[in-house]
Amino acid sequence: MGAVRWLIVLVGVALAGLGAVAIFGQATSGTQPWDPELSDNFIFVKSIPFVLGLGVAVGLARGRGAGAQRRRADGRVERFRIGTVVGHWIMTIGFLLALPTGMWQYLGGILDVRAPIDLFLFYRVHYVGGAVVLFGVASFLAYWSINADRSLLPPRGQWRAHLAGATAELPPRLSGPIARLFRLDLAARRPTPDRFTYYETGFSFPVWTIALALITVTGLIKAMRYVYPIPGGILYWASTFHVASMVLIVLKVLDHLRYTLPRWPMMVAIAKGWVNEGSIRSLLAAEPTAAPAADADVARAPAMSGSDR
Amino acid sequence: MKRIVAVLAIVWAAANVVVAYLFVTNAFVAKTAAKEGLPAQAALLLGGLLIAVFAVIVAREGLALFRGTSRVS
Repeated sequence: MGAVRWLIVLVGVALAGLGAVAIFGQATSGTQPWDPELSDNFIFVKSIPFVLGLGVAVGLARGRGAGAQRRRADGRVERFRIGTVVGHWIMTIGFLLALPTGMWQYLGGILDVRAPIDLFLFYRVHYVGGAVVLFGVASFLAYWSINADRSLLPPRGQWRAHLAGATAELPPRLSGPIARLFRLDLAARRPTPDRFTYYETGFSFPVWTIALALITVTGLIKAMRYVYPIPGGILYWASTFHVASMVLIVLKVLDHLRYTLPRWPMMVAIAKGWVNEGSIRSLLAAEPTAAPAADADVARAPAMSGSDR
Repeated sequence: MKRIVAVLAIVWAAANVVVAYLFVTNAFVAKTAAKEGLPAQAALLLGGLLIAVFAVIVAREGLALFRGTSRVS
């Protein structure tokens, strides 16, 4: 199985390499009439199938992963597999490239100002960042398609309980009104999470999914506009929702940092994969309104016992 | 390592405060109203305020991490 995985990756890398050579060969042939900005757009849009294909190959090569959670004698536990850690870094790099450049394009248009750097360079970096994010999304979707582990999502019928758990994490002056608005029962007894907190399952992962889906689809439509005739109305709404999803991601990154910075073991886990089991257990045990241990053993949610790694 | 991460978080929060400021101030500019319309102005205002609130919270958490006084762990 290991050889097949590597074969898939090699084929993906080879195809992506051949595609890159062909695309850059065309762009640098000196026969293209486009200005730098349009030329970059064509390079980007022609690269997309290869980027997505490479992402799918890498995601499939990760295989079914997961399995039993590994532990070391020194008390550390593997919270995330190396593929997940690398995938998280890839998405981080993609956002670091795409978000500031996308924000500049948007605000530059609103403010009517020009930077001392040519605008096409902002677009170039934005396209690189977008390609990195597309690779990450394709890789993750391919990995999930062959992996039955859904521990980052609430199981069927438990969405409200997980949402309530996520809401209970907030300060009371916020959690109360939100609970009333969505009719969530914050006082209900919930089992102690086993792997991911209620914030992660009930709020964070679903919001990331929505934001990434929105920015990916709208970004693809925008990128295609010079090579395929997109109706004006669709392009308008794609641009509007692309900006909206960008703002949503800016907010989600801040929310992500707000939550994880004071929970240092989570930062260690996503950076290294391995973390001290006692530290991460104490974080999970600190979840608000968790049921006593005896109840938790009976009521432990299936979603909490999986292992998305 | 905690201090490096804390400083990076504070820098990120500061950059977001600048973005929030630009969002909010440009929500009230006549040029925005003429070019983008009322819904875009409202979106700029709401988005800017939300970004500002979250950026301040991240800055506070970054400061707490730097000082070693984080609430949770």
